[in-house]
Amino acid sequence: MLSIKENKSKKLEAALADQLKKDLESELVNEDELFVLADYDEAAAEKTGYSNYSYWRSTLQVFLKNKVAVFLLCLLAALLLFTFIQPYLPGQYPANLINNNPQTGKQLSNVSPSLTTVIATAPAGTVLMAEELKDADGWYAVHNVVESLKARTKFNLIEYGEAWCRIEYKGKTGYVKNNFQTKLKLPEDPTAVPYESRSNFKLDMYMQPEDYTNDGTALYVKEDCLTLNGDGTATTSDEAQLRVLPSENAFWFGTNNIGQDLWSRVWSGTRTSLAIGFIVAFFEALIGITVGVLWGYVRKLDRILTEIYNVLDNIPNTIILILISYILRPGFGTLVFAMCLTCWLGMARFIRNQIVIIRDRDYNLASRCLGTGTARIIIKNLLPYLVSVIMLRLALSIPSAIGNEVFITYIGLGLPVDLPSLGNLINEGRKLVTSETLRYQLIFPAIVLSVVTISFYIIGNAFADAADPKNHV
Amino acid sequence: MLKYSLKRLSSSIVTLLIIISVVFILLRQMPIEGYFDNFEKVDQAMINAKLEQLGLNDPIPVQLWNFLVDLVHGDLGESARYSVGAPISGLIAKKAPISIKLGVLSMGLSLLLGIPLGAAMARGKGKFWDKFGTVYIVFINAVPAAVYHIFIQLYGTSFLGIPMLFDEKNLITWILPVCSMALGNTAYYAMWLRRYMVDEMNKDYVRLARAKGVSGQDIMMKHVLRNAFVPMIQYIPTSLLYTVCGSIYIESLYSIPGMGGLLVDVIGRQDNPMVQAIVMIYSCIGIVGLLLGDLLMGVIDPRISFVKKEGAR
Repeated sequence: MLSIKENKSKKLEAALADQLKKDLESELVNEDELFVLADYDEAAAEKTGYSNYSYWRSTLQVFLKNKVAVFLLCLLAALLLFTFIQPYLPGQYPANLINNNPQTGKQLSNVSPSLTTVIATAPAGTVLMAEELKDADGWYAVHNVVESLKARTKFNLIEYGEAWCRIEYKGKTGYVKNNFQTKLKLPEDPTAVPYESRSNFKLDMYMQPEDYTNDGTALYVKEDCLTLNGDGTATTSDEAQLRVLPSENAFWFGTNNIGQDLWSRVWSGTRTSLAIGFIVAFFEALIGITVGVLWGYVRKLDRILTEIYNVLDNIPNTIILILISYILRPGFGTLVFAMCLTCWLGMARFIRNQIVIIRDRDYNLASRCLGTGTARIIIKNLLPYLVSVIMLRLALSIPSAIGNEVFITYIGLGLPVDLPSLGNLINEGRKLVTSETLRYQLIFPAIVLSVVTISFYIIGNAFADAADPKNHV
Repeated sequence: MLKYSLKRLSSSIVTLLIIISVVFILLRQMPIEGYFDNFEKVDQAMINAKLEQLGLNDPIPVQLWNFLVDLVHGDLGESARYSVGAPISGLIAKKAPISIKLGVLSMGLSLLLGIPLGAAMARGKGKFWDKFGTVYIVFINAVPAAVYHIFIQLYGTSFLGIPMLFDEKNLITWILPVCSMALGNTAYYAMWLRRYMVDEMNKDYVRLARAKGVSGQDIMMKHVLRNAFVPMIQYIPTSLLYTVCGSIYIESLYSIPGMGGLLVDVIGRQDNPMVQAIVMIYSCIGIVGLLLGDLLMGVIDPRISFVKKEGAR
């Protein structure tokens, strides 16, 4: 009995024989043609093996095929450009400016993100109290409170409503809020209007049944929306936009808890974080390439550098970062220095390994025999080979530097708050996450940070793939 | 093998000594406030007396020698600010069990998820699991851990309706810290396993096995996965030790009373002896892990030879 395997191989044999037969039959070869001498062709003889292949053009072509990476590259370039021109754009608040309410001097803390500073609109014909601002030309501070009533003041209730009650006090009529705090109670006979009432708390009597204030402070309106009545009140002529500041420049990302504009802080922070990333990447390249080349090329140094590498590489990076930031005074320089201490390790080892592999290849041997200097061999023969690796590691070191900064800031050893960075913005925002309405202070910097780091990561990988000669046609 | 182990062990001990000395010397440069819990109130004479008592006025080599002698006896010194006068080894011994429990759980979870994910990615290159895994790995590697852990805590706790902070007795609060700790390692295992498996799959013996008619399932499980797993073995002790020591970030985020959270605490309070002890422990773990990894490799893969070939390069 045949085993299955033998059976299979027999079948295969038969199939191959059939195929071969067919092939032979189909190809009618004229045997004479095979033995004719070729003519001398001058053009063919002059033809050289020139090809217009260029490494970098080919790399670029491969890179451009990766649509995601190209998109992210454009995005990142736009973002980079924007972070640099942002302070010079019109209508930007300085990143460290604490915005105060011009009348009360209170900080405009935790203003929700919006595209304008408008937080309320008053329909045309609304009568409001208005006061001209001295230091902001053309702006009026408006509010709605006619009179403040002390606790236990008697007044007449004209109309009882669920949210607002219309009252009469010293001959003026106005509205008061009716809520758990003011606790306006109906008398035994609710039909007996007007009747006397009182509250155990301070009450504000409003002109309109609408608050029109920002937590009790006045709002601001432009002059041209108001017609002044001369008695301290004004009537809105159009639908008036009531703003938190006498300015049309919006807090697009809101403000933080001391009233600084989060939008400019985020971009200023992105600048700081990118600066950290680029400086660390630069030193990684500088130290990593130098050490890696020496380590790989100079045999005498191999032993000692390997030992140094082993010691440094065995300690977790984060621990070195923590240790250095703990010992030195926290700041930009310390952070960069701490990161530079360890960042070059990976790069140096990678380059060392590559150089050990390629340094004794024939073309380098030939180069050396022809008397080329060591420096020239390294720069012309070895390093171009490593461009893809170097670029990859650089692109990856930027997001990791940014991430390290976030981590160190979280531990409390990072940058001071007056130098905004994505790390301390996120850390500030993290402290407020328990309040749902304040989460924007965490989410905006986190989104910008993620876009930056993911872009660098993907672009780096795409470029490394493209620069790898294996992927070229 | 024995000779190799001894050699490897001795070089590790030398490295350990170097690291301990460097950390010790660096921390001597700190201001002396970090040794007092009430520096503003004490006068100069008392400061000097305390420094004398702690031996901080001795020359640094003497201090280092005393410290090493104490260390051999299992004495890491006393806490200065965090818990005044308490021996550090005792404090850490109290904190360690919770970190170890969490670490072992998260390590198990990440192996359980990471290996199947990596294998699935290598098997169906370009298919759903590969794409899913790639997006996951890119996300975990590119976005700083400090950022996504906050969001996991924020939305995870509100989604599951559980308390934000860790409570040892309430098992449901263990879920999120363990999962968050496992995320990074899962991505790491999946990424490397996929890479090693793809490398293995292109080798000749796999082609031979396929030509012989071995089923795809068998090739994957019996040949490719096994061989691809060997280089990963080397990392497992290191990552186990690190996770067992507790993630500095996650522990302090969920206020887990473990070692990682302790480090953030003592840094905040500028307690020099504690910082020194914990930093040393973390740095030494790397060395121990690497040593174990190397030895484990030698045990598991008989093909690896430790005899250095002279002139190989």
